[in-house]
Amino acid sequence: MTSTTPAAITWRRRRAAAATVWRQFLRDRGGVIGLAVLVLIIGLALLAPVLTDAAGLDPTQATGGRLQPPSGTYLLGTDELGRSVLLQLWWGARISLLVGVLATLVSVGIGTLFGVATAHFGGWVAAVLTRATDFFLVLPSLVLAIALSTVLDRGIFAIVLAIGVTSWPTTARLVRAQTLSVESRPYIERAWALGAGHLHVIGRHVLPAVLPLVFANTTLTVASSIIAESTLSFLGLGDPSAASWGTMLNSAMLSGAVTFGAWWYLLPPGLAIAVIVLAFMVCGRALESVLNPRLRER
Amino acid sequence: MRMRRIGVCLAVAACAALGTPAVTGVGAPQAHAADSKVLRVAVTTAVASLNPFLAYHQADTEIGRMMYEFLTAYDQTDQHPVPGLAESWQVGTDKLTWTFKIRQGMKWSDDKPITAKDVAFTYNLMLTNAVARTANGNFVSNFDTVTAPDDTTLVVRTKQPQATMLALDVPIVPEHVWASKVDKLVNYTNLDFPVVGSGPFTLVDYKPDQYVKLKANPNFWRGKATVDEVDFYHYDNTDAAAQALIKGDVDLVSKLTAAQFDTLKGKDGITTNKAVGRRFNDLIINPGAQTNTRQPIGDGNPALRDVKLRQAIAQAIDAKTLVDKSYGGYAEPGSSYIPPVFSKWSTNQQRTFDLAAANRTLDEAGYRKGPDGKRLDKEGKPLTLRLIGDSGQPTDNPNGQYLKSWLGQLGIPVDVQLVSGDKLGDVTTAGNYDLSFSTWGVNPDPDAVLTLQTCAALPDAEGKSGTTETFTCDEQYDQLYKAQLSELDEGKRVQEVKQAQQRLAELATSVTFAYPDQLEAYRSDRFSSFAVQPNPGGVITGQNGYWGYYKAVPAAAGTSSGVTPTGLVIGIVVAVVVVAGVVLLVVSRRRKSTADERE
Amino acid sequence: MTNALSPEVVEPTRGAGRGTLRYVATKVGGALVSLVLVVVLGFFLFRVLPGDPVKTITRDAPVDPARLAELRAQLGLDDPLPVQFLRYLGGLLRGDLGQSYNYRQPVLDLILDRVGPTLLLVGTATVIAAALGLWLGVRGGWRRGSRFDRASTGIALLLWSAPTFWLGMVLLTVTGTLFPSQGIIDPATPPGLLPQALDLLHHLALPCLTLVAVIYAQYLLVMRSSLLEEMNADYLTTARAKGLRDDLVRRRHAVPNALLPTVTLIFLNLGMVVSGAVTVETVFSWPGLGQLTFKAINSRDLPLLQGTFIVLAGAVLVMNLVADLLYRVIDPRVRAA
Repeated sequence: MTSTTPAAITWRRRRAAAATVWRQFLRDRGGVIGLAVLVLIIGLALLAPVLTDAAGLDPTQATGGRLQPPSGTYLLGTDELGRSVLLQLWWGARISLLVGVLATLVSVGIGTLFGVATAHFGGWVAAVLTRATDFFLVLPSLVLAIALSTVLDRGIFAIVLAIGVTSWPTTARLVRAQTLSVESRPYIERAWALGAGHLHVIGRHVLPAVLPLVFANTTLTVASSIIAESTLSFLGLGDPSAASWGTMLNSAMLSGAVTFGAWWYLLPPGLAIAVIVLAFMVCGRALESVLNPRLRER
Repeated sequence: MRMRRIGVCLAVAACAALGTPAVTGVGAPQAHAADSKVLRVAVTTAVASLNPFLAYHQADTEIGRMMYEFLTAYDQTDQHPVPGLAESWQVGTDKLTWTFKIRQGMKWSDDKPITAKDVAFTYNLMLTNAVARTANGNFVSNFDTVTAPDDTTLVVRTKQPQATMLALDVPIVPEHVWASKVDKLVNYTNLDFPVVGSGPFTLVDYKPDQYVKLKANPNFWRGKATVDEVDFYHYDNTDAAAQALIKGDVDLVSKLTAAQFDTLKGKDGITTNKAVGRRFNDLIINPGAQTNTRQPIGDGNPALRDVKLRQAIAQAIDAKTLVDKSYGGYAEPGSSYIPPVFSKWSTNQQRTFDLAAANRTLDEAGYRKGPDGKRLDKEGKPLTLRLIGDSGQPTDNPNGQYLKSWLGQLGIPVDVQLVSGDKLGDVTTAGNYDLSFSTWGVNPDPDAVLTLQTCAALPDAEGKSGTTETFTCDEQYDQLYKAQLSELDEGKRVQEVKQAQQRLAELATSVTFAYPDQLEAYRSDRFSSFAVQPNPGGVITGQNGYWGYYKAVPAAAGTSSGVTPTGLVIGIVVAVVVVAGVVLLVVSRRRKSTADERE
Repeated sequence: MTNALSPEVVEPTRGAGRGTLRYVATKVGGALVSLVLVVVLGFFLFRVLPGDPVKTITRDAPVDPARLAELRAQLGLDDPLPVQFLRYLGGLLRGDLGQSYNYRQPVLDLILDRVGPTLLLVGTATVIAAALGLWLGVRGGWRRGSRFDRASTGIALLLWSAPTFWLGMVLLTVTGTLFPSQGIIDPATPPGLLPQALDLLHHLALPCLTLVAVIYAQYLLVMRSSLLEEMNADYLTTARAKGLRDDLVRRRHAVPNALLPTVTLIFLNLGMVVSGAVTVETVFSWPGLGQLTFKAINSRDLPLLQGTFIVLAGAVLVMNLVADLLYRVIDPRVRAA
C-alpha cells in the first residue's frame, strides 16, 4: 500500500493519471455516448454465438424466400439466398470489428515502431525511416491495398494486412512528433546522463509518454480501417463465406437488391458501418482532447 | 439593401438566360428521336479493343460481329451454318480442298466492292502475321493455302480434314483499308470513323468505358437494318444498368440477376426475356495434374486419381437443388457437357442424385469409414478435400456450401475456399486444387470446348500456355476427339461428339451441374420485338450473330421519350442552383463589406 | 483510408536556421527519391499479382496453347524480369508508358483521356467541400457549443463515417429517375456548348454530391479547431479591446490566420481524394482514373496499372510538395523557425 519502490510510485502516478483522464472523458457527452454504443455493439458481437444460431448463415439451411421484406419472422427481411439479414448483420459485426481492430494493431504497431525509431535515433537512420514514411504516405493506399489483397490468399487476414500495411504512416508521423517533444524534456536528459541505454529510455520513458496519444489515435484508426475494409469488400475483395458488412453490401449490389428496392438489405449494413465508425470517432476525439492538452479547448 | 435587391434581380436574370435556350433546345432532340430509330443497349462488360484481329472479350467480339460479316453465319433459329459472305461451298473428294462461292455485288460501307480477294487477304494475313493471329489464330492453324482465283471464288486447302470449316468465326476485313496497316497491326486501334465494314452496322464513335455508337450500314448484303443506330452504353454494374432501363436511359439490358429480373418483370413498358444459356457451370475434380511431358504438377489430393472416388462425388451432386436454391430457379439442371440448347450435339444424359449409391460406390471401392464416421483413403489416412471457388461469382458460395453438406454425408469433409477469379485461375492452372468450380461458354460448333479436355491442352513443361479445363488426358477421349474433328459426315460426327461426352462423364473429371439462364429485359414501349437466337427461347444479346440488333422492331409511333427533357430540366435546375449560390455568396459579401464600411 | 481528421497532418518543419533554398532543395530532393521508389515499386508490385495476363486477356475466347505462347511472346512476357524492367525504364525516360494489354492503346493516351473527368469530379467536389467546410467551420467554431455548432459537426462526422460507395448507392436509389446513373455525357445530347454543359452538370451532380458529403467534414473540423486555437490568441483580445465588432474581428483577424492549416490540408488531401475517387467512379460508372485503375487491376493489364499507379502516386507527391512549400510561404512563423 505505502510501498515506496520507484516502480510502485510510477504505478500509482499512472493510475492517478488514468483516473483523471477517465473523469475528464466522462465530461465529454459525445465521447460517453460513443463509448456506450461501442460497448453495446461489441458485446452483442461477442455474444452472437450464444444468442443466435450460426446455422442460419448457411445458405443450405436457409428457410426464407429470396429478398423477402421485413416480417415477424425476419425482422430485417431476407437476402438473395433466403437468409435473415438481421442474423448476417449481427455476425457481420464480428468480422467487421475483427478486421478493423486487427488491421489497426498492425498499422499502429508499424507506425509506433517507425515513429519512435525515427525520432529517437536521428542521423541516417532517421533519414531513411522518414523517407520510407513519406514514401508510403504518397502511395495511393486504396490501389496498394487492392493489389495486396489480391496477392495474398483470400480471407480476412489478407484484408487485415492490406489495410495495416498501407495505413501506418499517419501514426508514424504523429508518434514521431510526440517522441521528439518528449525526448526534449529535461528528465530524459537526466536519464541519459545517468547512463541509461536506448532500451531503457524508449521502454521506460518515451513509450509510456507516447502511448496514451497512440491509444487515442488507435480508436480513430479503427474507424478508418472499418471503412477501408468495407470499401475493399465492396470492390469484391472480401471473403463471401465470412461476410462482413462490406461483403453484405457487395452481395446486395451483385444480386441486384438496389433495383429490387430491397432497402432492408441495402440500408442496415451501411448504417451499421456509419454508426460504429462514428462511435469510434467520437471516442477517439474525446480521448485525444483529454490526452492532448493542446486540443483540450476544442 | 439595394445591393441585395440587385443580386436577386441578377439571379433571376441568370436563371432566365440559362433556362430559355435550354428549354427551347429540348424540342430538338425529341423531334430528332422520333424520326431516327436508336437502340440503346447497356453493356456491363468492358469493351477493350475493336481491332478485329486483337479483340478477345465478349463485348468486343459481339460488336465486331456487327461491323464485319464472316464467311458463313449461324442461323437465327437453330444455329446451323448459313451463308455469310459465301453463298455456297463444297469440299473436294480429298476432303482437304474447300471452295467457297463469294456472293456477287456486295459492297463495303465505303461503296468499294467486297470480293474473294478481301477474304483471301484476311486469311493470308493471319497465316503470315503473328499479330493478326492473336485473337482468331486457332481457326486458321490447320490452313495450308488460301487463294482467290477470281473475285467470286475462294479456295482453302487444309493440312488435315477439318470438320469446322463452316464455323470460322473470323471477321473479314477490307484489303484496301488494311493493306497499309499490316506493319503496325499491334498498335492499330481501328478507330478511323466511320470504320469501313461489311456487317449490318458501321462503327461511328467510341469512347472507352463510356459508349460505342454504330449506324446502320445501307450496303449490308441482307439489306439495311430496321433501326438506324445502335448505341452501347457502358455500366460498371448490372444494377446501374437495370436502373437505367427503368429510367428509360437505355432500351435493352442483359446479364440480369434473378432479383433484377423479377423486379423488371412487373414494370410497365418493360418486357423480360428469359433465355436458355449456352454456358455450363461445372465442378472440376483434379485427376492428377500434369504437364504435356507427363510431369506431375500441383498439390491435388492423390486419392482423386481414383475414378471411383470421382464418380461417387458426381453422384452426390443434386443439380436440381442447386438450380432451385443458388440460381433462384433461373438455370437448367446440368447433365451433359454440351448444353441442351445445342440439341444436335448434346447427349442430354441425366445424372441421378443418389447419396446412398455414392456411399455404396465408396464402400465397394475400399474407402472405409473411420470411428468418427469420416472416410479414410486407401492408405488409411483421413480423406478431406479442398473446394475452391470464385468470390466474384454469386453462386459459388451457396453451391460450395451445398456440396460441402452432401459430401459431408458421404463422410468426406470439405473445406470451401473462395478466392478472386484471377487467383482461382492461377490455382487451377498450377493444379493446386482438389475440387473447383469452373464455367465455360459453348459455341454452335462443339470443337472448342471439346479441345479443353484433350492431352494437347495440357500446359508445357514450364506449366504455362495450357488451355486444359480439368487436366483430363485420356487416350480413348483423344481418339474420339480427333475422329470428330476430321469427320466431314455430320451424322457420324454427331455420334463421335456424343461418345466423347459419354467418355468424359465416365472419367468424372468435370461434373456439369447447371446451365444458367440468360436474363434480359427491354423497353417494350420503344421496341415491340427482337429476334432471339435460338428461336424460340433464345437470347437477344450475346448471340452467335447479329440478329438481335439487326432485326429489332421499333414500337409504333407514340414512343415515350420523356427522358431527355427531364434530364435537361434537372440539368437546368442544378445549373440554376449553382449560379444562384454563387450570386448569393457574392451579394452577401458585398452587403457585408458595405455594412462594415458604414460602421 | 483518409485518416486526416486530426489537425496533426501538417507538421511544422523542425530544425532552426535552415535557409529557404536549402529547405526547398531538401523537399524537392525527397520528393524525387519517392518518385524513383514509386517507379520501381510500380513495376515489381504488380508483377507478383496472381493471374496470368495472357489467360486473363483470352478469358472469353477458346484459344489453343500455340496461340497463348504467341501472345505471351508478343507482349514481351517471356523475357527475364530484369530485361522487362529495363525496357519499362527506357520507355518511361522517353515518356512512353507502354501499350495497354487490354485496350491495345498507348497507356499515356488512356490516362490523359481519364485525367479530365477525374479532375472535374475531384476538383469540383474539393472546391465545394472546402467552401462548405470552411464556412460551417468558421460559424461553428466562433460560437462553440451552440446548437448550430453541435448539429453541423455531428452531421459532418456522420457523413464522414458512412462508406462512400454506400452513400452513392443510396443517393442513386433515393433520387430515382432524376439523375443519370452512368457516365459523364450522353452521346444523344445535341451539340452546342449549353446543352453539353447542362448534360455534364446533370451527370456530375450525384457523384460530386457523394464526394462532397464524405470529404467536407475534414475541412470543417480543421477550420473549426484552428479557429478555436486562434481565438485564445492575444491579438484577438487586442482587436476586441480596440472596440472592433465581433464578426469583424472574426473575419479580419481570426479567420485569415486560421485558414493556414486548412489551405495546406486542401493540397494534402487532393491527391488522396483522387485515388479515393475509385469507389465513386465505380458506383456511377464515371470514366475517370480511379475506374481505369480498378479495371486495370481486374484485367491484369500490367502496363496500364504501372501507368495509373505512377500518375496517382505522382499526383499525391506533387500535392504534398506544394503543401510543404506553400505552408512555408504563407506562414511566416514557419519561415522564421
